[in-house]
Amino acid sequence: MIADKKYSEEELVMLLKSKNEQAFAYLYDNYSAAINGVIFRMVDNVELAEDVLQETFVKIWNNLSNYDPLKGRLFTWMINIAKNLTIDTMRSKGFKKQQKVSQDENAVVNLRDENFGADRFDAMGIRKQLANLKPEQRTIIDMAYFSGYTQDEISKEMQLPLGTVKTRMRSAIIELRKMLQYE
Amino acid sequence: MEINEIISSGLLELYVLGETSAEETLLVQTMAAEHPQIADEIAAIEMAMESYAQAHAIKPSTQVKEKLFAQLNINSSSTNDAKVFSLAETPKKSSIGYWKMAAAAAVVLFVGSAVFNGVMYNKYNTVSNNLANVQNQLKQASKDNDEMASNIRVVQNKNTDYVKLAGLPAAPDAVAKIYWIKNTDEVYIDPSNLPTAPDGKQYQLWAIVDGKPVDGGMIDKSKTSIQKMRSFGKAEAFAVTLEPVGGNPTPKGDMYVMGKL
Repeated sequence: MIADKKYSEEELVMLLKSKNEQAFAYLYDNYSAAINGVIFRMVDNVELAEDVLQETFVKIWNNLSNYDPLKGRLFTWMINIAKNLTIDTMRSKGFKKQQKVSQDENAVVNLRDENFGADRFDAMGIRKQLANLKPEQRTIIDMAYFSGYTQDEISKEMQLPLGTVKTRMRSAIIELRKMLQYE
Repeated sequence: MEINEIISSGLLELYVLGETSAEETLLVQTMAAEHPQIADEIAAIEMAMESYAQAHAIKPSTQVKEKLFAQLNINSSSTNDAKVFSLAETPKKSSIGYWKMAAAAAVVLFVGSAVFNGVMYNKYNTVSNNLANVQNQLKQASKDNDEMASNIRVVQNKNTDYVKLAGLPAAPDAVAKIYWIKNTDEVYIDPSNLPTAPDGKQYQLWAIVDGKPVDGGMIDKSKTSIQKMRSFGKAEAFAVTLEPVGGNPTPKGDMYVMGKL
């Protein structure tokens, strides 16, 4: 096996759509941790998160033919599958959505860096930068991204008009993009 | 909706977060397909969120992968062992080590490519010059060949009269030859055994017709082989004088060779 093989997104998508098992293993190795991180923050339970993660990848494998690159990046598609499955699971188990992230921030940062995988991806560096986000910006991103709140739910939870939720979401993500230089 | 209005509305962020209604989703997808600006904006949001997720990654236990691949009944060996990084692009500022390496590699590649281009460009120039040289040589050879063929035609023509013009005191060793094709009245001279004309001077051919010299044309210095001169109809003798470039209406310079018919 050639170590360190890296695919471009186009190559990866093409291989995955042709049910290439190696590409799928690559996909799992490179994205399971990021997806698991999102699921875990929604369910706050390691075993349950991993069950949902497994289910997510089964769904990814079985639904690759439905993925349309024109509608968004592969990761966006995968993370939305993960979030929908997580929400379904939580509903079926009678969970209530919790705004988990803000409280467990320290716990997450204290996880060994190995958990974040990346030597190529400087997760630590990003996390340091994320500390510069204003708390309200961070909260709104986390509520939507990590807690699966809809915009209506965020509006109610934060007691903000829907329009404000949208503009605040945008300015928070713009701030994030500035930090990551995706402008 | 205006493009900028869509971009600034926050709708694209919600789309990436999977928080848009079915109609909103369709609207965004339609707009993105029509306007690259919107598609680019969506991609930038997606990459930011992807980096955000990667920054919060939590590695699942190894059993998950085993169970997953057993469930799907596929081989779990990948080319890459549990490394997390973005698909096509990783963030520029955040993964400094990686990007430094990438930038260094890019610089090395660029410099290498520039050097390679330089070398190849020089080679190209050399080859190109060589080709031009060979083409010129071929052209010259082909021209020489044509000339030779035409010379032979003149010399071998059965209607050709040959007159040898012998050296005079100005140049006792000089010789010129006249080939006169009688039936077509074409006059050729072979000046190859005349001394080289000095700068500013040129040989001029004369035909002596009824005792008077008639201009037979200037001998082209650049040609060493047989060249065509003027026709005369009749002539008693031929002579060559050295005149200023362009010649004289009547011979004024030294006479080098002369021959009678």
